[in-house]
Amino acid sequence: MSAETNASRTGNQHPRLQEFLFSAKRFLKNPLTIVGLTIIMAFAIVAIFAPVIAPPEKPDDPFQIPHDGWMMEPQPPSLEHPMGTLPQQYDIFYGLVWGTRNAFKIGLLIVLANLVIGVLLGAIAGYFGGVVDEVIMRVTDMFYAMPFLVVAMAIVVVIGKGLTSIVLVLIVLGWRTYTRVIRAEILLIRDKDYIQAARASGASHMSIIMRHILPNSIFSVLIVASMNIGTTMLSAAALSFLGLGSDIGYADWGAMVSEARNWIVGPANARLQYWFVVFIPGFVITLFVLGWNLLGDAARDVFDPKQRRR
Amino acid sequence: MDALLKTEDLKTNFYTFEGVVKALNGVNVMVRPGETYGLVGESGCGKSVTVRSMMRIVQEPGRIESGRIALFFDEKDKERGVDIVQQSDAYMQKLRGNDISMIFQEASTSLNPVFSIEEQIGESFEFHRLDEMLRETVEELDAEIQQGKAGFLGWKKFQRSQLARELASHTAYDNAVEELDAQIIRLESTDLQGNASAVAALNKKREGMKPFSLSTRILRRVPILRRYRNRLSKTIRTHIVELLRSLGLPNPENVVDRYPHELSGGMQQRIVIAIALACNPKLLIADEPTSNLDVTIQAQILDLIRKLKEDTIESVIFITHDLGVVAELCDRVSVMYAGDVAETAAVKDIFAKQYHPYTEGLIASVPKRDQKGELKPIHGTVPNLVTPPTGCRFHPRCPKAMDICSQVKPETIEIAPEHFVACHLYTSEDKA
Amino acid sequence: MVLILVGVTVIVFSIMMLLPPGQRVSVYVQDERVNNQQLEALIEKYGLDDPAPVQYWRWIKGVFRGDFGYSVVAVTPVIEAFKNYFPVTLELVLIATPLIIMTGVWLGTKAATNKDTAIDHGTRIFAIVGYSLPTFWLGLMLLMVFYGLFGLFPPGVLSNEGRDVLYSGDFQRYTRLLLIDSILNWRWDMFWDALYHLILPAFNLVLLSSAMILRLTRSSMLDSLGQDYIRTALAKGASKNLIERKHARRNALIPVITVSGLLFAGLMAGMVITETIFNRPGIGLWMADAALRLDVSAIMFNVLFLSGVYVVMNLVVDVLYAYVDPRIRLS
Repeated sequence: MSAETNASRTGNQHPRLQEFLFSAKRFLKNPLTIVGLTIIMAFAIVAIFAPVIAPPEKPDDPFQIPHDGWMMEPQPPSLEHPMGTLPQQYDIFYGLVWGTRNAFKIGLLIVLANLVIGVLLGAIAGYFGGVVDEVIMRVTDMFYAMPFLVVAMAIVVVIGKGLTSIVLVLIVLGWRTYTRVIRAEILLIRDKDYIQAARASGASHMSIIMRHILPNSIFSVLIVASMNIGTTMLSAAALSFLGLGSDIGYADWGAMVSEARNWIVGPANARLQYWFVVFIPGFVITLFVLGWNLLGDAARDVFDPKQRRR
Repeated sequence: MDALLKTEDLKTNFYTFEGVVKALNGVNVMVRPGETYGLVGESGCGKSVTVRSMMRIVQEPGRIESGRIALFFDEKDKERGVDIVQQSDAYMQKLRGNDISMIFQEASTSLNPVFSIEEQIGESFEFHRLDEMLRETVEELDAEIQQGKAGFLGWKKFQRSQLARELASHTAYDNAVEELDAQIIRLESTDLQGNASAVAALNKKREGMKPFSLSTRILRRVPILRRYRNRLSKTIRTHIVELLRSLGLPNPENVVDRYPHELSGGMQQRIVIAIALACNPKLLIADEPTSNLDVTIQAQILDLIRKLKEDTIESVIFITHDLGVVAELCDRVSVMYAGDVAETAAVKDIFAKQYHPYTEGLIASVPKRDQKGELKPIHGTVPNLVTPPTGCRFHPRCPKAMDICSQVKPETIEIAPEHFVACHLYTSEDKA
Repeated sequence: MVLILVGVTVIVFSIMMLLPPGQRVSVYVQDERVNNQQLEALIEKYGLDDPAPVQYWRWIKGVFRGDFGYSVVAVTPVIEAFKNYFPVTLELVLIATPLIIMTGVWLGTKAATNKDTAIDHGTRIFAIVGYSLPTFWLGLMLLMVFYGLFGLFPPGVLSNEGRDVLYSGDFQRYTRLLLIDSILNWRWDMFWDALYHLILPAFNLVLLSSAMILRLTRSSMLDSLGQDYIRTALAKGASKNLIERKHARRNALIPVITVSGLLFAGLMAGMVITETIFNRPGIGLWMADAALRLDVSAIMFNVLFLSGVYVVMNLVVDVLYAYVDPRIRLS
């Protein structure tokens, strides 16, 4: 399809912008996008209106879940506790609502930080090549070779348990994917004529990377990133689940599921007595991750030119 | 009029992400027995889609929308032909590579990189000449067993019996298929109401037919026992070597064990030709077979095709955008533009006199020996066929466009004997 | 390659060294009531306040002698602990990997050849949900329903009776893989017992991990089905079935092989969660314990081992590549 004929139809827009608008239109029409967006929007609303939905007892420390007494046995959903309680009578509903804020923080913050680190390193490696490339890529290989969860666990234990540590660890360990992706992209375009032309006309390295290389290769990285928000959430939740997150009583989804481990089997006459402890928090995590993955999958379908011609 | 293959109002669309590409806009072409027929035009004007439709190998997301493709291969049925658009997939499989075959433009991508040349050519024999190959192998084994030649006799006997069994079941299958096909075509030609469901039922039966008995099918999959077929492969291999030698390939015994990437472009193209010619087709379709080759190799390949045409193949369809090749090789030619046939005539007629402005432009854009002044290119490019121009699809680029051109699709008329053109210049003069 | 392994161990070791010796010594302390003097003696004894490079050097020297130190969590030398734990993990991974690959390739092929039909959309939903399910939650749910509600597929590796047989002395442990040992001992009851305990964790892994293989197979099958050589095969008269099974799939499996190799390595490392949930005493459970209690020797050993598996699987993948792709074989 020549840009010429398209341009004459839709006005004289930049071809890249045009391609983007075309893709964006497709993206918004995709049913996966609609379901994904609905889920994410619902979570966003819950996060924003958390103080209204579940008014905190101590406004200066809203992430602390209020609890009624110290009884260990979880109580099933009731009027007072619409989703039941955890051991020590922590309210599940309250924890989930305020946990939404933490979930967004974790997912977006980590992926954003990973993106910045990974893209910078990958861009430098791909653009300069030679020794720089070799060193950066070998280090990346090391991060790939490491058993992710084990190393993450060890680091969290060293720097102290808690949600902040988990976020920190996932930032330190998570950038590796982006480095490889962006480097591969850059190698594809590094020696294209327009880059050579920019170099010959005396543009600085920084401006070549920023103005010519990144805009052409950032798309595939963003697609990977959109798919990774969900995965990152899962890693964070897994670490919390393994007991490295906050203590009981803090509004963190992963930590709430970790409580479920001791309650999978009920008493003999009611085997599924504690289903709400096992099911509800994990289901909310799944839903959140599913929302991001639906968006990511739809985005890859539409924005990845290699995928979508099929 | 005598024809070997004829398309009537053929329409093929591609259902892409951007929209429906109307690649063929009602194409009527006819290939006669014994001729070399050329199809020319710029890239993207539907030449390849036309011939792929003829073999029904338009790949996803393309689909033949409507029209008729009639084959007149059978001596008895010269009236109406067999409309292959209506036939079952199983019927097409028997036809492809056997009666009609095709040479593709990019030999390097047309060969499967992970299979050896032997495997790739051998498939043609497996698909269409299995009976002969089996018979030959069985006879050979019989002779060896009788002579008591060295080798493990028990294994040889097993091989023989198994191959003979395969032969018997395959011959029975062939006969049954033939009978069924005749029945289907007879039913179709009677044009009676209510036949359609009978035909559909028969076609379904046709699809469900299996070439081998169950025990043979299982045996063919069992790793060690499967080796009884090694003997068959050996027979096929000698035929492949023979075929390659006849195509002038140096050192064919060596070449058969190679993989495509180990061969040069010219060699690859010969392998593609060998695959197409393995079963002596009646009609050979050559889709720009020389477009990515060196000039000397091009000449060799063209010579080869010309020689094959004289010796073994009845008719050839030759696609190219090189008018020189057309002049040299073809008897008749059609000029295509954006999914329409613009002009059809004998080669010498069309070079003598062009009626369609597009043909005129094409020929004017080729340098001639006594060229004076500048070449005259046709301005613009082939349109996006998601939203093709209305009326005559050439009108936006046509130097002689009239008002009617953007409104009505021109009719094809016979403007001179055996010279057809679709242009309003000749049909609507009085109206305009 | 070796460089990567050395690099990984250096990185992890440095992280361990961030802790003051006083904290690192705690893993060696059995009695709560040790005084400062005793602590210092312990630090002295294990050389915990030497400079980090010295300690690393000591560790690496041990590695070359085959001495990986003492795992406090397992209360045995690291090597002994590994010999006990590893077969449990290996058994599950060896059962799960082929199942994952077969499921993924099968569904992926189905999706590609039925593109844009209900099958395609169905597998897509399956894959996205598979990506989104947290391992631990799915495992807990499976346990809650199958074990809790129906009393099927209990956690652990053997039933009580099975364990009695295992430690009775009549049961020879040739390979330490329960399934194989049961056959070698001709104890089919043990075989079924062990298999019974493998079903749920393996099912858990298949549900979660086949999604990746599925999507990859689908896209590379589609890629392959759109290639020119498919058209050649069609023009030869090949049936649709043969094209999918032979011409397209052979090419499509090339990228799948890479991922399968890394899948094997990834499953090993991911055992931390699976084994914790299904209570299988393999290296995953051991690592989880070791990491929580900062058992430096065990952590270092496992990091080295798992990185080694990753590196070796990369090599295996290269060899397999050459096997399926003649273009690589010769160059």
